[in-house]
Amino acid sequence: MQAISPEQVRAQVDKFWKILSGKSGDKLEPLYAPDATVFTGRAKRAEPAPLAAARRMRQVSGGASTPGAEVGQVEVQVVDNVAIASYTYQFHGVKQASDGGRLEKTTRFGRATQIFQLDDNGALRIVHEHLSAGEAPAIEKARP
Amino acid sequence: MEAIAPDQVRAEVRTFWNLFCTKDKTGFNRLYSPTATVFAADARRSESARLMLVRRERELFGPASLVKAQLGDIAVQLLTPHLAVASYPLHFSVTRNLPNGLRVQVDVPFTRVTQVFQREENGGLTIIHEHMSSAEPTSPKTLPAEASSVR
Repeated sequence: MQAISPEQVRAQVDKFWKILSGKSGDKLEPLYAPDATVFTGRAKRAEPAPLAAARRMRQVSGGASTPGAEVGQVEVQVVDNVAIASYTYQFHGVKQASDGGRLEKTTRFGRATQIFQLDDNGALRIVHEHLSAGEAPAIEKARP
Repeated sequence: MEAIAPDQVRAEVRTFWNLFCTKDKTGFNRLYSPTATVFAADARRSESARLMLVRRERELFGPASLVKAQLGDIAVQLLTPHLAVASYPLHFSVTRNLPNGLRVQVDVPFTRVTQVFQREENGGLTIIHEHMSSAEPTSPKTLPAEASSVR
C-alpha cells in the first residue's frame, strides 16, 4: 500500500483553503469521502460532509467580497493509510444574513482537524473534519 | 491484534467522561498516547496531551472543582482495524475556583468532540488526537458568595 507523506496532506489542506477562498475553480466535494462527517461553524452536531461542502460552495460563489484564508503550520500524524492534520487558521468571508443582507465574518483563531484516508484509487480524502474557533468570530454587516 | 469494534470505542468514550467527572487523574492520563495532540475547547492552538493534562489537573481535578457531562449519540468511524474516530455532542459543565478566589461556572450545552482512538500493542485503546469545541460562545458565570463553598 502507498504510504502517505506529510507533504501530500499539506497539499490537500492548501487545496481545501484555496477553494474556500475562491482562488481555485475546483470544487470542495471531491476532497471528501462519500461518508465523511464534519463539525463546522455553529452546528450543534456532526453533519454529512456533502451537505456542508455544498453549502460552503454556495457561500464561496455568492460572496460579494473576496474571501481570504491564512493557514498556520500544519501538523501531520500518519497512521497506516490515515493522516491527521491539525492546524490553526484565519479566515475572512461573506455570508448571507437571515434578513437577506450580507455579513462579513472574520475568524481570527480558527482551529482545524482534518482526518484524511487513502481511498481504493489512491486518492487522499477527508473522512472527518472538525473546524472551530478559539474565540467567537467577529461578525459585522458587509459594506455595500 | 484484535480489530476495534464500535461498541468498544463507545465504552472507552464513556470511561473517559466517567474518569473526567470523578477526577481520576491516574486513570484519565492513561487514556492518552504520550504523543497525542489536543485542541481544548478554550484554546487558540493545539497542544500536547501531556501539557493539557497538567493544566486540566490543576484547573479541574482539584477538590473544589465539579465537572458534569451528559453525552449525546456517539458516532464511530472505523478507519482501519486499529484506528477509529468517535464524534459526538455533549452537555459539559464545570464549576471551579479561579486563582483570584472567584468561583465560576461554565456551562457548555453544545460541546462537540472528536477523538481519534488507536489500538495499542497491549490491546488497550488510547487517544492520539482530540478536538473539543462549543457550537455557541460561552462565558463563565461568577457564582454568588453563598454558593462558593463546595458541598
